[in-house]
Amino acid sequence: MSFRSVFIAVTVAFALVLGAFLVNRARPRVETDQPTADFVRANGKCAECHARLQYSVVHEYEMSKHAKKGVNCLDCHQPTEGQQKKDHHGFVISTKLTAGNCRNCHEGIYQEFLHSRHAAPSWAAIYGEKGLSAEQVAFSEQYQPGGTKRPPHPFVNSEGGAAMVSGCEQCHAVGRPNDDGTIGSCTNCHSRHTSSVALARRPSTCGQCHMGPDHSQIEIYDESKHGVMFAAQENLLKLNADPKTLSTRDMFVPTCATCHMSGLNGLKMTHDPSDRLGWYLANPVSEKRPNSLRAQNEMKQVCSQCHTQPLIDRVYAQADQVVANTNTKVLAAKDIVDGLRKDGTLTGPPFSNPIDFTYFDLWHYDGRTSKHAAFMGGADFVQWHGNYGLMQKTVQLKHDAEALRRAHASGK
Amino acid sequence: MPAVNNLRMRAIQLLKSPQLAWLFDPALLLEIFVASNLAVLAADIVLAHSVNQFRNPAEYIPLYFSADAPVLLLVAMLAKGRWRSQDAWRDIGLLIGGLSVLVGLAGVIYHLRSGFFAEHTLRSLTYAAPFAAPLAYTGLGFLLLLNRMVAARETEWARWVILLATGGFFGNFVLCLTDHAGNGFYLKTEWIPVISSALATGFLIVPVIAPVTRRYLDLCLVVLGLQALVGVVGFGLHLWMNYNTPGGSLFEKSIYGAPPMAPLLFPNLVGLALIGLWQLATHLPEGTAERPGVFDQLLSCVAEPSTEN
Repeated sequence: MSFRSVFIAVTVAFALVLGAFLVNRARPRVETDQPTADFVRANGKCAECHARLQYSVVHEYEMSKHAKKGVNCLDCHQPTEGQQKKDHHGFVISTKLTAGNCRNCHEGIYQEFLHSRHAAPSWAAIYGEKGLSAEQVAFSEQYQPGGTKRPPHPFVNSEGGAAMVSGCEQCHAVGRPNDDGTIGSCTNCHSRHTSSVALARRPSTCGQCHMGPDHSQIEIYDESKHGVMFAAQENLLKLNADPKTLSTRDMFVPTCATCHMSGLNGLKMTHDPSDRLGWYLANPVSEKRPNSLRAQNEMKQVCSQCHTQPLIDRVYAQADQVVANTNTKVLAAKDIVDGLRKDGTLTGPPFSNPIDFTYFDLWHYDGRTSKHAAFMGGADFVQWHGNYGLMQKTVQLKHDAEALRRAHASGK
Repeated sequence: MPAVNNLRMRAIQLLKSPQLAWLFDPALLLEIFVASNLAVLAADIVLAHSVNQFRNPAEYIPLYFSADAPVLLLVAMLAKGRWRSQDAWRDIGLLIGGLSVLVGLAGVIYHLRSGFFAEHTLRSLTYAAPFAAPLAYTGLGFLLLLNRMVAARETEWARWVILLATGGFFGNFVLCLTDHAGNGFYLKTEWIPVISSALATGFLIVPVIAPVTRRYLDLCLVVLGLQALVGVVGFGLHLWMNYNTPGGSLFEKSIYGAPPMAPLLFPNLVGLALIGLWQLATHLPEGTAERPGVFDQLLSCVAEPSTEN
């Protein structure tokens, strides 16, 4: 046996092995340093198929912060306790993700969300306690009294299931009860595969649900100076700035999230959007929240990142005045309708007479709009979409009430 | 040790019987190797392309080819052996060989298109369909062409067979590397077939490019023995992994999990390399009489006059 033969054999073999080690070493650690082999495989195997089947899903994920931090498909899609497991091409996954998947890493945020009206109260606003466990109802009632322990909305029966499922539920499912015992879906605001902070900071994301005559926050915002500036300077903002270090340099124009949730310039961040609110503005007659002083002070702190104290105090004083004024008008309207029921002029179930709708529209549309607009700088909505409607419907109510009384008296 | 000697004599007599004369016909052995490999590839394609449910109609091409080609090759072998029709054997073989080369090369392009051509990165190469796998067809096709274009008893034939076996081991090296890289070499044992196939590639390339002795071929036998062992153990480990992985049926886990057939490529290529080495050894001078090697002993046994004669 010649030395040359052995030398060539060993050299070639060693070169190949060395090459293999070097190629493997060139792979990013974020791909290979995973808790199990399945996680490593998921890194590329999922994309290998889904890039052809649902390209946008893979592309969105690749642009996400999750991808940059090495969170891969299986991290989110692994079934948590109580979730249905599905065998999927060699992986065991969950296809229906909930807040239960996100909380594995974002428990603190999930707990903040659970305290909020986005959680169980949002669902209960349509279906009442249906689907929620007694523990979930009790938990939510501690923080949002009366928000969850309530009957289903009367429209559930009168409008029917289809209207609820394709209408109301599309937004109110942000607080849906899940099979795994958790509540809600983070992807309603952050989207599924981008898991985007920037998306959640955009007014249009909140405006998916907070729009229309009954909660016209996005229209009010668009009309406000904040909204006008956002439209003009959106491209100068750092919508994807790290929440932990977010400053007014990043978001010098506020969006919904900036005021209601962000930890601007070191302030406390929250995933309870009502944490800084002092009033129950959505109620027919608004009352102060149990923690209104603390909440308003925190909101004023956010305001003070850009505005002087006199301006902030003036806006709050004016807005409080609008709330009080609206309460008076709604109470007057309520007295008219209550009077009709009391003297037997108005009978039957709710929403069985046109006057029920006039009163409902008065507080549900015009009343709410005037109050929201007063706090959000939407002058036109305080007046023409708010107080004008309150006045017009009050006149209508009085007129209709008189007509009902005359008809009742004449026995028609 | 009269019992052992007796057994040895009986084995030699058996090998030298006219019924087993085909065992020493290298061209026929090569034909059987190619035909059986194509047949096994049909089953392998069913498993491999079930991963994406044969989504692209082109994925059926290797399946149909692998199912039909062995039958035609069997006809070709019968044509040569029974009906003495050398032309039919040659033409059928050339046709299947040529087609096999094309199927393999086209397969490489198709496999790379699954990911690598869209994004030229190490990652896409790792997770794309195994681009080296279709080259099995190309290798088998070349073997058929070789068998018809070079005389089987020549040294050149033997060197070509060894070269193609080397190519097979190199392909195995790439397959192991990319497939196990998909797991991030989570288990360190996943490096064993990579190192093993690199060793086989290194040792088998030598007889192709440099003059060697029978002693060196003995060393190659040791290396090939290691390959066979790695393949059989790997087969068991792949099955064990699939059996113990949660979720799905064993069939489904075989499709999406560790490919059970893949490690068997090692013993399979050992068979091909042995055909080439055996034939090459017959052209090499014998070793020293004092220390005869394995090939020396095997060849002397076969060359010994039968006790019956």
